[in-house]
Amino acid sequence: MRKRLGFVFWLAVVYLVVLALAAVFADVLPIKDPAETFPGTSKQGPSLSHWFGNDGVGRDVFSRVIYGAQVSLVISTVGTVLALIIGGLLGMVSGYYGSRVDRWLTATLNASLVIPPLILFLALVLFLDSEAKRRIFILVFTFVLLSIAPIARVVRAATLSWAGQDFVLAARTLGARDGRVLFREILPNVAPSFVSYSLIIMAGLIVVEGSVAFLGLSVPPPTPTWGDMINKGRTNLDVAAHISLMPAIVMFVTVLALNFVGDKLQQYFEPRESVL
Amino acid sequence: MKQAVRDQLGRIVAAALLATIVWAWIWRPPFSWTFGVLVVIGTVGAGIADGRYALRRIASVIPVLVGVSFVVFALMASLPGDPAINILGPAATADQIAIVRTELGLDEPFFNRYGNWLGGVLTGDLGTSIVLREDVADGISRSMTPTLQIMAYSVVLALGFAIPLGIWAGYRQGTKTDGTINNVMLGFLATPNFVLAVMLVLFFAIGGLSVAGNEIGFRALPAARYVPLGEDVVLHFKHMLLPSLALAMGQAAVFMRLLRSDMIATLRLPFIDLARSKGLPTRRILWRHALRPSSFTLLTVVGLTVGLLIGGALIIEFIFTIPGVGAYIFLGVTQRDFIAVQGGVLVISTLYIVVLTMSDFLYLALDPRLRGREVGARA
Repeated sequence: MRKRLGFVFWLAVVYLVVLALAAVFADVLPIKDPAETFPGTSKQGPSLSHWFGNDGVGRDVFSRVIYGAQVSLVISTVGTVLALIIGGLLGMVSGYYGSRVDRWLTATLNASLVIPPLILFLALVLFLDSEAKRRIFILVFTFVLLSIAPIARVVRAATLSWAGQDFVLAARTLGARDGRVLFREILPNVAPSFVSYSLIIMAGLIVVEGSVAFLGLSVPPPTPTWGDMINKGRTNLDVAAHISLMPAIVMFVTVLALNFVGDKLQQYFEPRESVL
Repeated sequence: MKQAVRDQLGRIVAAALLATIVWAWIWRPPFSWTFGVLVVIGTVGAGIADGRYALRRIASVIPVLVGVSFVVFALMASLPGDPAINILGPAATADQIAIVRTELGLDEPFFNRYGNWLGGVLTGDLGTSIVLREDVADGISRSMTPTLQIMAYSVVLALGFAIPLGIWAGYRQGTKTDGTINNVMLGFLATPNFVLAVMLVLFFAIGGLSVAGNEIGFRALPAARYVPLGEDVVLHFKHMLLPSLALAMGQAAVFMRLLRSDMIATLRLPFIDLARSKGLPTRRILWRHALRPSSFTLLTVVGLTVGLLIGGALIIEFIFTIPGVGAYIFLGVTQRDFIAVQGGVLVISTLYIVVLTMSDFLYLALDPRLRGREVGARA
């Protein structure tokens, strides 16, 4: 029986791809300059020339949302990929070797979960200075730190269930080294579960980045970020709600789409496990 | 006698918890007292239920606490820049800097400083805030009340949404109703709490969007500010409703999904068929028979989400200008007041660890099925 992913799934995928492409090619696309203030358009609602309207000082909200996607997507993607490599490796080693290694790794990972993420983040923000490049580096570093433990747990659980399978035993009986067993036998089977989980982690990171930007601690202006746009728009919420509303909607749809695609992929890959 | 206590342990512990809450509500003792009493109840309860497990668990919590304190201290100690210059400002003379450095004990070796600090922490001394010139422990315990209120209200609200919806969706599994509830809750799960907070303010506090001259929204609730419970009860809840809702809905979605899947599993069990064949009304079967055995995962996760709620409370406090712990730490961060931040992070992490341990303990005391075997909500 073939499972179908459904229309909404592909809609979400198309949305994410379009958003990513728009963010990557923002400089060559025929959109307005995000820093340019258009005279006389302050707080104007959506119109044909400015699709998402203009913000408090007359900048084009649409192009700022697109440029804001750059920050969100770059930070969350890099964070997720790094966390996936480190967390995945830790999880696989922990699940495969078991016993003492497992106990130490699990204890360390659990201990790292006891500092609430945003609080840890704030503590690290003390290291920030206003230089944008260094800030991105610290943001990514923190995001990796935050997502290693959850990823490692999921991968560990998946590895545990595969490490006991007959084909792993067969490979070991044939004299395969641990490295080979881990990467050639177990990794291909574990991969689907952590790829789909990583999308959900990525959605989480977009939210954290948004929260941090909302508090004014992410990449400093003039670089537009979604969280900062939503926060700045609050002062005009009663007269020009679209300034906050537009980036908020885009962020909501992005997070929803990532969660949805991740969920669906997880369901899609599941039956393969039960066949074995 | 002892056996009798063990048999009724769940009820006794539940009654003790309830009594503590009522006591705290009426007499308003300092936060640390209430918390201490709750910890004692949990520990004693778990000790009676399974003494060896309780001891082992406590033994494993202590190194984690020490580790966290070390990480927090090391992090703050490795901050770039001289804290003495931060305090005095760039115009300070070398003599002044030397005096402040001695006062803060900055000239001593790292481990001595850590030892001194930890000694102070154990006796309730978190140091003096650099910017506010105030005892950090006092500042934190003052800010604790609003934060705990928001967290408590939002857990209650989240459960208030999640329990009926979870039961209903589980009962009507696979139908359109189930699908609708699931999709709506998925939407809330994807809404960052600060976005939800801004939306709530927009639609319930300042009149919403105006389309062709008509307002789509209300002006029923205040948009910000904190009113203490002791000052005016009605106003207090009016001001707390939007912040708590903003924090609650994401949690409600998580809780509802958990309860739904556990309900589906429970409703397949034979005792439900029995209840049905006795002719009991559906409502009674769902609420009295199926809910209790389905709610244990939910309870564990409620304990686990405390950490998330603290992070979320921070941003909610920022939006609604509520003087809570999150706001305290945030102020410390923006003003580079590392003593305040250090104290705040330590207190919150410690609370989180203790709450997690307590939720495991209570779980053990409340559910007789778990006694004598390895439990661990975090395993």
